Amino acid sequence: MRALAAAVIGLAAALVLVVTVTAIGPPRGHTSPRPLLTSPPAHP
Amino acid sequence: MRRRASLVLLALAVFCTALSPLLRWYAFPRLAEVPAGRYQAVVLEAKDATLVDYATLQPRRVSKVTMIETLKGNTEQAARVRAETGRDAVVWDTLTYVAGPDGAMVSRIPERYVFDAHTQQPLHAGGESVDGTPVRRDGIEYKWPFLVRKHDYRYFDMQTRTSAPIHYRGTRTFHGLEVYCFEQTIPWTKVPVPRTLPLGVTPDTVRQLGLERWYTTTRMFWVDPVTGAPVNGEEDHREELRWTGHPEKQPITAFAGHVAMRPDYVDSTVALVSSQRQLVLLLTTYLPWGLPVLGAALLALALVLEIRARNRRAHSGDLSHDGGKTARPAPEGR
Repeated sequence: MRALAAAVIGLAAALVLVVTVTAIGPPRGHTSPRPLLTSPPAHP
Repeated sequence: MRRRASLVLLALAVFCTALSPLLRWYAFPRLAEVPAGRYQAVVLEAKDATLVDYATLQPRRVSKVTMIETLKGNTEQAARVRAETGRDAVVWDTLTYVAGPDGAMVSRIPERYVFDAHTQQPLHAGGESVDGTPVRRDGIEYKWPFLVRKHDYRYFDMQTRTSAPIHYRGTRTFHGLEVYCFEQTIPWTKVPVPRTLPLGVTPDTVRQLGLERWYTTTRMFWVDPVTGAPVNGEEDHREELRWTGHPEKQPITAFAGHVAMRPDYVDSTVALVSSQRQLVLLLTTYLPWGLPVLGAALLALALVLEIRARNRRAHSGDLSHDGGKTARPAPEGR
Protein backbone atom coordinates (compact mmCIF):
# COMPACT_ATOMS: atom_id res chain seq x y z
CA MET A 1 0.00 0.00 0.00
CA ARG A 2 2.83 2.39 0.84
CA ALA A 3 4.58 1.47 -2.39
CA LEU A 4 1.43 2.34 -4.34
CA ALA A 5 1.18 5.69 -2.53
CA ALA A 6 4.84 6.45 -3.37
CA ALA A 7 4.22 5.65 -7.04
CA VAL A 8 1.15 7.89 -7.14
CA ILE A 9 3.13 10.74 -5.55
CA GLY A 10 5.88 10.36 -8.16
CA LEU A 11 3.36 10.34 -11.01
CA ALA A 12 1.48 13.35 -9.64
CA ALA A 13 4.71 15.32 -9.19
CA ALA A 14 5.68 14.66 -12.82
CA LEU A 15 2.25 15.76 -14.05
CA VAL A 16 2.24 18.93 -11.94
CA LEU A 17 5.75 19.88 -13.04
CA VAL A 18 5.07 19.44 -16.76
CA VAL A 19 1.66 21.13 -16.71
CA THR A 20 3.04 24.08 -14.71
CA VAL A 21 6.10 24.61 -16.92
CA THR A 22 3.95 24.32 -20.05
CA ALA A 23 1.33 26.73 -18.69
CA ILE A 24 4.00 29.34 -17.93
CA GLY A 25 5.54 28.85 -21.38
CA PRO A 26 8.52 30.60 -22.88
CA PRO A 27 8.81 34.41 -22.64
CA ARG A 28 7.09 36.35 -25.45
CA GLY A 29 9.93 38.86 -25.96
CA HIS A 30 9.83 42.37 -27.40
CA THR A 31 10.10 43.85 -30.86
CA SER A 32 13.73 44.62 -31.56
CA PRO A 33 14.54 48.33 -31.91
CA ARG A 34 17.03 47.49 -34.67
CA PRO A 35 16.02 48.57 -38.19
CA LEU A 36 15.41 46.55 -41.32
CA LEU A 37 18.78 46.82 -43.07
CA THR A 38 19.51 48.61 -46.33
CA SER A 39 23.26 48.04 -46.31
CA PRO A 40 25.27 44.91 -45.58
CA PRO A 41 26.84 44.80 -42.11
CA ALA A 42 30.60 44.32 -42.05
CA HIS A 43 30.12 41.19 -39.96
CA PRO A 44 27.17 39.19 -38.54
CA MET B 1 15.10 3.76 7.58
CA ARG B 2 15.91 1.58 4.55
CA ARG B 3 12.22 1.05 4.05
CA ARG B 4 11.59 4.79 3.86
CA ALA B 5 14.54 5.29 1.50
CA SER B 6 13.24 2.60 -0.84
CA LEU B 7 9.82 4.29 -0.95
CA VAL B 8 11.43 7.66 -1.80
CA LEU B 9 13.48 5.98 -4.53
CA LEU B 10 10.34 4.32 -5.88
CA ALA B 11 8.56 7.69 -6.04
CA LEU B 12 11.56 9.20 -7.87
CA ALA B 13 11.68 6.25 -10.27
CA VAL B 14 8.02 6.74 -11.18
CA PHE B 15 8.58 10.52 -11.44
CA CYS B 16 11.45 10.07 -13.93
CA THR B 17 9.71 7.42 -15.97
CA ALA B 18 6.46 9.40 -16.21
CA LEU B 19 8.32 12.59 -17.05
CA SER B 20 9.84 11.05 -20.18
CA PRO B 21 6.70 10.72 -22.36
CA LEU B 22 5.18 13.84 -20.79
CA LEU B 23 8.16 15.94 -21.93
CA ARG B 24 8.28 14.48 -25.43
CA TRP B 25 4.59 14.33 -26.28
CA TYR B 26 2.99 16.98 -24.04
CA ALA B 27 5.58 19.63 -23.18
CA PHE B 28 7.66 19.71 -26.38
CA PRO B 29 4.84 20.56 -28.81
CA ARG B 30 3.74 23.36 -26.45
CA LEU B 31 7.16 24.74 -25.48
CA ALA B 32 9.04 24.55 -28.79
CA GLU B 33 8.21 27.72 -30.66
CA VAL B 34 9.80 30.38 -32.81
CA PRO B 35 10.44 33.40 -30.52
CA ALA B 36 8.00 36.20 -31.38
CA GLY B 37 10.67 38.88 -30.97
CA ARG B 38 13.36 37.31 -33.17
CA TYR B 39 15.62 39.63 -35.18
CA GLN B 40 17.94 38.26 -37.79
CA ALA B 41 19.80 39.55 -40.81
CA VAL B 42 21.37 37.49 -43.54
CA VAL B 43 23.60 38.75 -46.34
CA LEU B 44 23.76 36.94 -49.67
CA GLU B 45 25.93 37.79 -52.65
CA ALA B 46 25.94 37.11 -56.36
CA LYS B 47 29.43 37.45 -57.83
CA ASP B 48 29.87 38.35 -61.53
CA ALA B 49 26.17 38.91 -62.01
CA THR B 50 24.17 40.59 -64.76
CA LEU B 51 22.03 43.57 -63.86
CA VAL B 52 19.85 45.87 -65.95
CA ASP B 53 20.73 49.55 -66.12
CA TYR B 54 17.35 51.29 -65.96
CA ALA B 55 18.82 54.45 -67.54
CA THR B 56 19.66 52.66 -70.80
CA LEU B 57 17.55 49.51 -70.39
CA GLN B 58 20.66 47.49 -71.20
CA PRO B 59 22.02 44.60 -69.14
CA ARG B 60 25.57 44.98 -67.81
CA ARG B 61 27.99 42.72 -65.99
CA VAL B 62 28.74 43.75 -62.44
CA SER B 63 31.28 42.38 -59.97
CA LYS B 64 28.79 41.80 -57.19
CA VAL B 65 25.14 42.17 -56.24
CA THR B 66 24.32 42.04 -52.55
CA MET B 67 21.01 40.90 -51.08
CA ILE B 68 20.29 41.82 -47.46
CA GLU B 69 17.40 39.96 -45.85
CA THR B 70 16.24 41.16 -42.46
CA LEU B 71 13.59 39.46 -40.34
CA LYS B 72 12.11 41.33 -37.41
CA GLY B 73 9.53 39.80 -35.09
CA ASN B 74 6.68 42.21 -34.39
CA THR B 75 5.50 41.20 -30.90
CA GLU B 76 2.66 43.76 -30.75
CA GLN B 77 1.11 42.35 -33.94
CA ALA B 78 1.80 38.80 -32.73
CA ALA B 79 -0.18 39.51 -29.53
CA ARG B 80 -3.04 40.91 -31.61
CA VAL B 81 -3.12 37.85 -33.87
CA ARG B 82 -2.96 35.61 -30.80
CA ALA B 83 -5.99 37.40 -29.32
CA GLU B 84 -7.85 37.01 -32.64
CA THR B 85 -7.00 33.41 -33.42
CA GLY B 86 -6.23 31.94 -29.99
CA ARG B 87 -2.95 30.54 -31.35
CA ASP B 88 0.63 31.48 -30.50
CA ALA B 89 1.57 33.62 -33.47
CA VAL B 90 4.74 35.07 -34.91
CA VAL B 91 4.61 38.11 -37.16
CA TRP B 92 7.76 38.72 -39.18
CA ASP B 93 8.24 42.04 -40.91
CA THR B 94 10.95 41.40 -43.45
CA LEU B 95 12.86 43.43 -45.99
CA THR B 96 14.71 42.02 -48.98
CA TYR B 97 17.01 44.82 -50.07
CA VAL B 98 19.12 44.32 -53.17
CA ALA B 99 22.13 46.57 -53.70
CA GLY B 100 24.43 46.93 -56.71
CA PRO B 101 28.24 46.89 -56.57
CA ASP B 102 28.27 50.57 -55.57
CA GLY B 103 25.77 49.96 -52.76
CA ALA B 104 22.96 51.71 -54.65
CA MET B 105 19.50 50.24 -54.35
CA VAL B 106 18.43 47.77 -57.05
CA SER B 107 15.10 46.83 -55.45
CA ARG B 108 13.49 46.63 -52.03
CA ILE B 109 10.61 44.32 -51.22
CA PRO B 110 9.02 44.43 -47.77
CA GLU B 111 6.97 41.50 -46.59
CA ARG B 112 4.81 40.52 -43.65
CA TYR B 113 4.69 36.83 -42.79
CA VAL B 114 2.27 35.61 -40.09
CA PHE B 115 2.52 32.03 -38.87
CA ASP B 116 1.92 29.63 -35.99
CA ALA B 117 4.87 29.74 -33.60
CA HIS B 118 4.81 25.96 -33.04
CA THR B 119 3.97 24.48 -36.44
CA GLN B 120 5.07 27.26 -38.87
CA GLN B 121 1.71 26.97 -40.60
CA PRO B 122 0.63 30.37 -41.99
CA LEU B 123 -2.09 32.26 -40.15
CA HIS B 124 -4.35 34.38 -42.30
CA ALA B 125 -4.50 37.35 -39.98
CA GLY B 126 -2.40 40.36 -39.14
CA GLY B 127 -2.06 41.76 -42.66
CA GLU B 128 0.21 39.26 -44.40
CA SER B 129 1.56 40.92 -47.53
CA VAL B 130 4.35 41.13 -50.10
CA ASP B 131 5.49 44.55 -51.33
CA GLY B 132 2.34 46.13 -49.91
CA THR B 133 -0.02 43.70 -51.68
CA PRO B 134 -2.11 41.37 -49.51
CA VAL B 135 -1.33 37.69 -50.04
CA ARG B 136 -2.69 34.44 -48.65
CA ARG B 137 0.17 32.05 -47.98
CA ASP B 138 0.07 28.30 -48.02
CA GLY B 139 3.07 26.32 -46.85
CA ILE B 140 6.25 27.56 -45.22
CA GLU B 141 8.72 30.36 -45.86
CA TYR B 142 12.21 31.11 -44.49
CA LYS B 143 12.05 28.33 -41.87
CA TRP B 144 10.96 24.69 -41.69
CA PRO B 145 8.95 23.26 -38.76
CA PHE B 146 10.80 21.73 -35.82
CA LEU B 147 11.83 18.10 -36.41
CA VAL B 148 11.92 18.31 -40.20
CA ARG B 149 10.83 15.20 -42.07
CA LYS B 150 12.37 13.74 -45.18
CA HIS B 151 9.60 14.70 -47.55
CA ASP B 152 8.54 17.54 -49.79
CA TYR B 153 7.06 20.69 -48.28
CA ARG B 154 5.14 23.54 -49.85
CA TYR B 155 7.24 26.67 -49.92
CA PHE B 156 5.99 30.21 -50.57
CA ASP B 157 7.73 32.10 -53.37
CA MET B 158 7.80 35.83 -52.70
CA GLN B 159 8.14 36.83 -56.38
CA THR B 160 5.25 34.80 -57.80
CA ARG B 161 3.33 35.12 -54.51
CA THR B 162 2.27 31.50 -54.77
CA SER B 163 3.38 28.28 -53.07
CA ALA B 164 4.92 25.29 -54.80
CA PRO B 165 6.56 22.05 -53.62
CA ILE B 166 10.12 22.20 -52.36
CA HIS B 167 11.65 18.77 -52.77
CA TYR B 168 13.74 16.81 -50.28
CA ARG B 169 17.01 15.99 -52.07
CA GLY B 170 18.92 14.02 -49.46
CA THR B 171 20.97 14.28 -46.29
CA ARG B 172 24.44 15.81 -46.20
CA THR B 173 27.00 16.92 -43.67
CA PHE B 174 27.55 20.66 -43.71
CA HIS B 175 30.07 22.32 -41.36
CA GLY B 176 29.82 19.29 -39.06
CA LEU B 177 26.00 19.33 -38.96
CA GLU B 178 23.79 16.70 -40.53
CA VAL B 179 21.41 18.67 -42.75
CA TYR B 180 18.54 17.94 -45.11
CA CYS B 181 18.81 19.44 -48.61
CA PHE B 182 15.71 20.89 -50.25
CA GLU B 183 15.37 22.27 -53.76
CA GLN B 184 12.62 24.21 -55.49
CA THR B 185 12.46 25.30 -59.13
CA ILE B 186 10.13 28.06 -60.18
CA PRO B 187 9.70 27.96 -63.99
CA TRP B 188 9.60 31.17 -66.02
CA THR B 189 6.62 33.06 -64.62
CA LYS B 190 5.30 36.57 -65.16
CA VAL B 191 5.65 38.39 -61.82
CA PRO B 192 4.78 41.86 -60.51
CA VAL B 193 7.36 44.62 -60.84
CA PRO B 194 8.64 45.74 -57.39
CA ARG B 195 7.12 49.03 -56.27
CA THR B 196 10.52 50.52 -55.46
CA LEU B 197 13.18 50.51 -58.16
CA PRO B 198 16.17 52.76 -58.95
CA LEU B 199 15.86 56.14 -60.75
CA GLY B 200 12.24 56.49 -59.63
CA VAL B 201 11.14 53.70 -61.97
CA THR B 202 7.71 52.38 -61.00
CA PRO B 203 5.60 49.43 -62.16
CA ASP B 204 3.60 51.94 -64.24
CA THR B 205 6.78 53.17 -65.96
CA VAL B 206 7.71 49.62 -66.90
CA ARG B 207 4.21 48.94 -68.19
CA GLN B 208 4.18 52.16 -70.25
CA LEU B 209 7.45 51.09 -71.88
CA GLY B 210 5.63 47.96 -73.04
CA LEU B 211 7.59 45.68 -70.74
CA GLU B 212 6.68 43.01 -68.22
CA ARG B 213 8.82 41.18 -65.69
CA TRP B 214 9.45 37.45 -65.89
CA TYR B 215 11.39 35.37 -63.42
CA THR B 216 12.75 31.87 -62.84
CA THR B 217 14.81 30.45 -60.02
CA THR B 218 16.17 27.27 -58.55
CA ARG B 219 16.68 27.64 -54.82
CA MET B 220 18.44 25.23 -52.50
CA PHE B 221 18.37 25.13 -48.72
CA TRP B 222 20.47 23.16 -46.27
CA VAL B 223 18.17 22.70 -43.28
CA ASP B 224 18.99 21.58 -39.75
CA PRO B 225 16.42 18.79 -39.20
CA VAL B 226 16.15 19.45 -35.46
CA THR B 227 15.32 23.17 -35.38
CA GLY B 228 14.12 23.49 -38.98
CA ALA B 229 16.44 26.45 -39.50
CA PRO B 230 18.26 26.75 -42.83
CA VAL B 231 22.01 27.00 -42.27
CA ASN B 232 22.78 27.75 -45.91
CA GLY B 233 20.90 28.88 -48.97
CA GLU B 234 21.75 29.35 -52.62
CA GLU B 235 19.74 30.40 -55.62
CA ASP B 236 20.22 30.44 -59.41
CA HIS B 237 18.08 33.45 -60.14
CA ARG B 238 17.16 35.02 -63.50
CA GLU B 239 14.84 37.91 -64.29
CA GLU B 240 13.93 39.31 -67.68
CA LEU B 241 11.97 42.30 -68.92
CA ARG B 242 9.97 41.00 -71.88
CA TRP B 243 8.16 43.06 -74.50
CA THR B 244 4.42 42.71 -73.98
CA GLY B 245 2.80 41.20 -77.05
CA HIS B 246 6.13 40.93 -78.91
CA PRO B 247 7.62 37.50 -78.20
CA GLU B 248 9.92 37.94 -81.21
CA LYS B 249 11.78 40.84 -79.57
CA GLN B 250 14.86 40.07 -77.52
CA PRO B 251 14.09 40.22 -73.78
CA ILE B 252 16.25 42.39 -71.51
CA THR B 253 18.04 40.51 -68.74
CA ALA B 254 17.14 42.35 -65.54
CA PHE B 255 19.18 40.09 -63.29
CA ALA B 256 21.11 36.85 -63.66
CA GLY B 257 23.38 35.37 -61.07
CA HIS B 258 24.12 32.67 -58.54
CA VAL B 259 23.15 34.02 -55.12
CA ALA B 260 24.84 32.45 -52.09
CA MET B 261 25.10 33.29 -48.40
CA ARG B 262 28.20 35.26 -47.45
CA PRO B 263 30.63 32.84 -45.75
CA ASP B 264 30.74 34.74 -42.43
CA TYR B 265 26.92 34.54 -42.24
CA VAL B 266 27.08 30.81 -42.94
CA ASP B 267 29.49 30.42 -40.00
CA SER B 268 27.40 32.53 -37.62
CA THR B 269 24.18 30.75 -38.64
CA VAL B 270 25.76 27.34 -38.11
CA ALA B 271 27.01 28.44 -34.67
CA LEU B 272 23.57 29.80 -33.70
CA VAL B 273 21.71 26.70 -34.89
CA SER B 274 24.23 24.36 -33.25
CA SER B 275 23.51 25.92 -29.85
CA GLN B 276 19.73 26.13 -30.27
CA ARG B 277 19.38 22.55 -31.48
CA GLN B 278 20.67 21.38 -28.07
CA LEU B 279 17.56 22.82 -26.40
CA VAL B 280 15.30 20.96 -28.81
CA LEU B 281 17.32 17.76 -28.43
CA LEU B 282 17.05 18.08 -24.64
CA LEU B 283 13.25 17.81 -24.85
CA THR B 284 13.07 15.32 -27.73
CA THR B 285 16.00 12.99 -27.16
CA TYR B 286 18.27 13.52 -24.15
CA LEU B 287 15.60 13.68 -21.42
CA PRO B 288 13.05 11.28 -22.97
CA TRP B 289 15.74 8.59 -23.33
CA GLY B 290 17.79 9.42 -20.23
CA LEU B 291 14.95 9.67 -17.73
CA PRO B 292 13.62 6.07 -18.16
CA VAL B 293 17.17 4.76 -17.71
CA LEU B 294 17.49 6.82 -14.53
CA GLY B 295 14.03 5.62 -13.44
CA ALA B 296 15.03 1.99 -13.98
CA ALA B 297 18.21 2.51 -11.97
CA LEU B 298 16.28 4.14 -9.13
CA LEU B 299 13.70 1.33 -9.17
CA ALA B 300 16.46 -1.28 -9.01
CA LEU B 301 18.04 0.54 -6.07
CA ALA B 302 14.65 0.74 -4.33
CA LEU B 303 14.16 -3.02 -4.79
CA VAL B 304 17.66 -3.78 -3.48
CA LEU B 305 17.04 -1.69 -0.37
CA GLU B 306 13.65 -3.31 0.18
CA ILE B 307 15.05 -6.82 -0.18
CA ARG B 308 17.92 -6.06 2.19
CA ALA B 309 15.51 -4.60 4.74
CA ARG B 310 13.33 -7.71 4.58
CA ASN B 311 16.33 -10.06 4.83
CA ARG B 312 17.67 -8.13 7.83
CA ARG B 313 14.35 -8.41 9.58
CA ALA B 314 14.10 -12.11 8.76
CA HIS B 315 17.62 -12.87 10.05
CA SER B 316 17.24 -10.86 13.22
CA GLY B 317 13.99 -12.67 14.00
CA ASP B 318 12.19 -9.43 14.04
CA LEU B 319 8.47 -10.10 13.89
CA SER B 320 7.65 -6.72 12.61
CA HIS B 321 5.71 -6.67 9.35
CA ASP B 322 4.81 -4.12 6.75
CA GLY B 323 5.23 -0.62 8.08
CA GLY B 324 7.44 -1.65 10.97
CA LYS B 325 4.50 -2.19 13.32
CA THR B 326 4.91 -4.97 15.84
CA ALA B 327 2.75 -7.96 14.98
CA ARG B 328 -0.04 -8.58 17.43
CA PRO B 329 1.06 -11.44 19.76
CA ALA B 330 -0.99 -14.60 19.56
CA PRO B 331 -3.56 -14.89 22.33
CA GLU B 332 -2.33 -17.01 25.16
CA GLY B 333 -3.90 -20.36 25.89
CA ARG B 334 -4.28 -21.40 22.29
